[in-house]
Amino acid sequence: MAAIGVHLGCTCACVAVFKDGRADVVANDAGDRVTPAVVGFLEKEVIVGLAAKQSRVRNATNTIVKVKQILGRSYGDPIAQKHITESKCTVVEKGGKPKYEIDTGETQKLVSSEDVAKLIFSKMKETAQSALGSDVNDVVITVPFDFGESQKKALGEAASAAGFNILRMIHEPSAALLAYGIGQESPTGKSNVLVYKLGGTSLSVTMIEVNSGIYRVLATSTYDGIGGVCFTEALAQHLASEFQRTYKQDIRGNARAMMKLMNSADVAKHALSTLGSSNCFVDSLYDGIDFDCSVSRARFELICSSLFNQCIDPIKKLLEQVGFKATDVNQVVLCGGSARIPKLQQLIKDLFPEVEMLSSIPPDEVIPVGAAIQAGILLGKENTDLDTITIECSASDMLVKEIDESGNKFTVLLPSGTPLPARRQHVLQAPGNISSVCLELYESDGKSSVSEECKFAQVVLKDLQKKTSGVRDILTVLTMKRDGSLHITCTDKDSGKSEMITIEDTS
Amino acid sequence: MLIEAQAEQCTFVTRGLCAASVLCQVEPVGRWFEAFIKRRNRNVSASFQELEDEKESSEESEDEEYQLEEFPLLKTLDPKDWKNQDHYAVLGLKNLRYKATQKQIKAAHKAMVLKHHPDKRKAAGEQIIEGDNDYFTCITKAYEILSDPIKRRAFNSIDPTFDNSTPSKSEGKDNFFEVFSPVFERNNRWSNKKNIPKLGDINSCIEDVDGFYSFWYNFDSWREFSYLDEEEKEKAECRDERRWIEKQNRAARAQRKKEEMNRIRTLVDNAYSSDPRIKKFKEEEKARKEAEKKAKADARRKEQEEKERVKQAELEAVRLAKEKEEEEARQQSLLIKKEKEIQKKAIKKERQRLRTSCKNWNYFSDNEAESVKMMEEIEKLCDRLELASLQSLNENLAVSTKEEGKSAVEKQIIEVNAQLKKEKEQEEARMKQSTRGADNSAMGGGSGSKSWSEDDLQLLIKAVNLFPAGTNARWEVIANYMNLHSVSGIKRTSKDVINKAKSLQKLDPQQKDDINKKAFDKFKKEHKVVPPSVDNAVPSERFEGPGVEMSPWTTEEQKLLEQALKTYPVNTPERWEKIAEAVPGRSKKDCMKRYKELVEMVKAKKAAQEQVLNATKTKK
Repeated sequence: MAAIGVHLGCTCACVAVFKDGRADVVANDAGDRVTPAVVGFLEKEVIVGLAAKQSRVRNATNTIVKVKQILGRSYGDPIAQKHITESKCTVVEKGGKPKYEIDTGETQKLVSSEDVAKLIFSKMKETAQSALGSDVNDVVITVPFDFGESQKKALGEAASAAGFNILRMIHEPSAALLAYGIGQESPTGKSNVLVYKLGGTSLSVTMIEVNSGIYRVLATSTYDGIGGVCFTEALAQHLASEFQRTYKQDIRGNARAMMKLMNSADVAKHALSTLGSSNCFVDSLYDGIDFDCSVSRARFELICSSLFNQCIDPIKKLLEQVGFKATDVNQVVLCGGSARIPKLQQLIKDLFPEVEMLSSIPPDEVIPVGAAIQAGILLGKENTDLDTITIECSASDMLVKEIDESGNKFTVLLPSGTPLPARRQHVLQAPGNISSVCLELYESDGKSSVSEECKFAQVVLKDLQKKTSGVRDILTVLTMKRDGSLHITCTDKDSGKSEMITIEDTS
Repeated sequence: MLIEAQAEQCTFVTRGLCAASVLCQVEPVGRWFEAFIKRRNRNVSASFQELEDEKESSEESEDEEYQLEEFPLLKTLDPKDWKNQDHYAVLGLKNLRYKATQKQIKAAHKAMVLKHHPDKRKAAGEQIIEGDNDYFTCITKAYEILSDPIKRRAFNSIDPTFDNSTPSKSEGKDNFFEVFSPVFERNNRWSNKKNIPKLGDINSCIEDVDGFYSFWYNFDSWREFSYLDEEEKEKAECRDERRWIEKQNRAARAQRKKEEMNRIRTLVDNAYSSDPRIKKFKEEEKARKEAEKKAKADARRKEQEEKERVKQAELEAVRLAKEKEEEEARQQSLLIKKEKEIQKKAIKKERQRLRTSCKNWNYFSDNEAESVKMMEEIEKLCDRLELASLQSLNENLAVSTKEEGKSAVEKQIIEVNAQLKKEKEQEEARMKQSTRGADNSAMGGGSGSKSWSEDDLQLLIKAVNLFPAGTNARWEVIANYMNLHSVSGIKRTSKDVINKAKSLQKLDPQQKDDINKKAFDKFKKEHKVVPPSVDNAVPSERFEGPGVEMSPWTTEEQKLLEQALKTYPVNTPERWEKIAEAVPGRSKKDCMKRYKELVEMVKAKKAAQEQVLNATKTKK
């Protein structure tokens, strides 16, 4: 039994399989680990992937790209409208839904976005099956955080039509976290993770709180205007001006030449992520002239400097939105193919100087890998199909007052946002030379500093045997039930003396 | 480091928590989420698992502290008679019995040992019987039995306090549930299976009751009677003895087991026969069946009635429709009759009018003969003309002068005559056709539709001549020949052929010749148009030896011959005659000879070429 995770993006689709306890992306029949989400309709056949992308220059009106943008949207939807105006393929309205009008010589047909997505899913299924050597149906599919019900439904229908049995749909940022196994080792502790996804056509930043191994999205924002394509376009424009400078020919008006240039720029952009400079070479670009131009990484970064700023600003906005400082973020996860760009990684690193940046998994594979891991978890379980759910969490931090050299110090015993019921056990230390210990318990919302008003209880252990040296260990166990009542037990490890209190929820 | 408590401080709660819990949306991702959901669905919590464990353990400790009941006769027990002692009572677990847990037994044993161990008692200054005769041995033995699950089961099986009695049928007659319920409860303990169905009460549904009885009829008991074994296997001195003992024991056990099964069986039988619910169900079933039967019969009757009714209605409808139709037809015929009469009258009147008007004009003629002829014509007119045309004619006559009238009448007469003539012709034609049809059918027999083309006729004549009378199965052979050679593609049987041949014989010989000639002409014509094609395959006569003297062929003659060969292909009739005609100065025989020579030459040439080719090949 194997399960797979599929990520369908605007520009690319990627599939990872979960086998023998680990998830890995599988390469398609062309040997690429990422398949372009492009579908081309020819006279007799339908092609998906790289071949479709390459033949787009000749078959632009019958090639569908970025189908995800209109998937499950109505014709009047502004995003759908935007897609329709940009699309080289004619889109008509039928029953309120946008349909592609495909004209392959003798036959004309209307193709819905679900059909196109289905073709891509079928391709991904084939890829996974050829890698596994067996039939595979169970799949976890990733969706962007802002996907609505109708879009999820459309995606689900497309996947079902391709023969998939959808175990669950999960959000892309959560999948990214899962790929790195954040919070998966032990179910305690709390951390904040920033997921930065720069895809082909969109940028999304998400702040996720990981508490007890459970992920909670604190804030997220998506920017549709910016993506990897923008970089390619900027580079292509630069190349076009270079061409004009050399040959005194303006090719910007020639759609076909520009498409060729875009393809070349795309290759160059990818190369620049690893190389210092790259060569753009287009045979017979315009008027029979071969175009050859070298671009250095520095040049590329100069061309795209404004784009980089646009890419970084959303992070700052998000931090403001959740009220975090850069130090409040524990980890940054990069995903989306364009997150490979070295300059971008540098800029993010500058923003979070002390934060661990996770990019060990190729950024465009992070999400499918996470989905495959989730598929592995769900494999063999029943009733797997559930959406985001609501659970009870503790509202505030539970703290205890301690002293050290610098003065009063508060230690978090039970962090806010812990799923309930929860139980936390701490060993606190007290000086051995005192006969009584007092644990002053405070609650705090985590933002404002702790004051005396926050104190809600104290536990006192008296008549303890004095020790001449060393420390005494006080075992403190906090348990919080789903109704919010808190139960605290403190035990002196040496004498076994214990005190316990129960605090009911008043709100 | 925790802070030190002040002297006056003590544990207390200042205030409740403000907003202790909030609802949060979480992502359905990761294994901890799965674990969380699983716990929540099962209503268990990991964080409380330990607490619960603690609680359980405390409960268990309570169990251990179960008030052991001192067995008053303990000290009087004879250790040698351990088999007959109540081990539970000895350990002070008289009330728990088979429900006692292993832990409880262990604890009870511990307590007993602490209390009754000879050393302890010795310390207390009690008199101890030395050796195995002390009653403490009983405690040890009891623990030995009860701590071993197999031995304990054996002992449980013959638990002396167990009531083996089964109530009789009469006992359970009036208060079935009171009597049988405790008995079944009691016997539950022997079941291997869990989830034992309850006897239930008078209102239990049929499924439950069925389930209960099927469970008890298939009762799977763990009760066994090894404890009652008379001989002990361990005591045996040799293998044979051990075997014998084993056999004995097995037989005894089987006997007891059988008895036990019988006991359960009787119990269940008794219960089943006196169960008021079973009676009730049976009655209900009977009533239901009867009701069903009745309902079925009712339904059938109703159906029958309905069918009858429908049939009646249909018949009635048909009858009515028929009557109505008849009525209508009658009306119609009456109407038609009336109309006809009216028309007849009108025609009569008109005819009269025509006659009188013609008479008035003296039949448009002066001499007798003409007028008589006219009269005849007029009569004919009267007969033939329709009402409308008669009327118009009469009107014409009424308003016109004599001359005009004459012309009009004559015109009519001519028309009528023309019509008559035409009809006559048609009649004749029809007659002719029918006679011809008859002819055809006479000639062709059953297959008159198969037409005989002239080609076929010719072929037939040829065939008839080829296979003279007396040939074996002559007509079959002729038919086959026809089928083989006919170009029309019509399959003919011998019958067809006989018919045609007979009809041909009937025709006068002149006609036969005609047909032959015509066919021949046509053949000639056809074959001239056929595109010429040379087929060397069929030289039909023997080749005569080369020794025959002849004048050599000139190139011109040769050309002519070749041309003629091409013009008249192999299948041309009288090919060689025609070819000979085409080549002046050469007879038919000459031509054929020359042709054969040519063929030979070509063949020789080819063979030579091949030889050379082969030679070169072998050389290679």
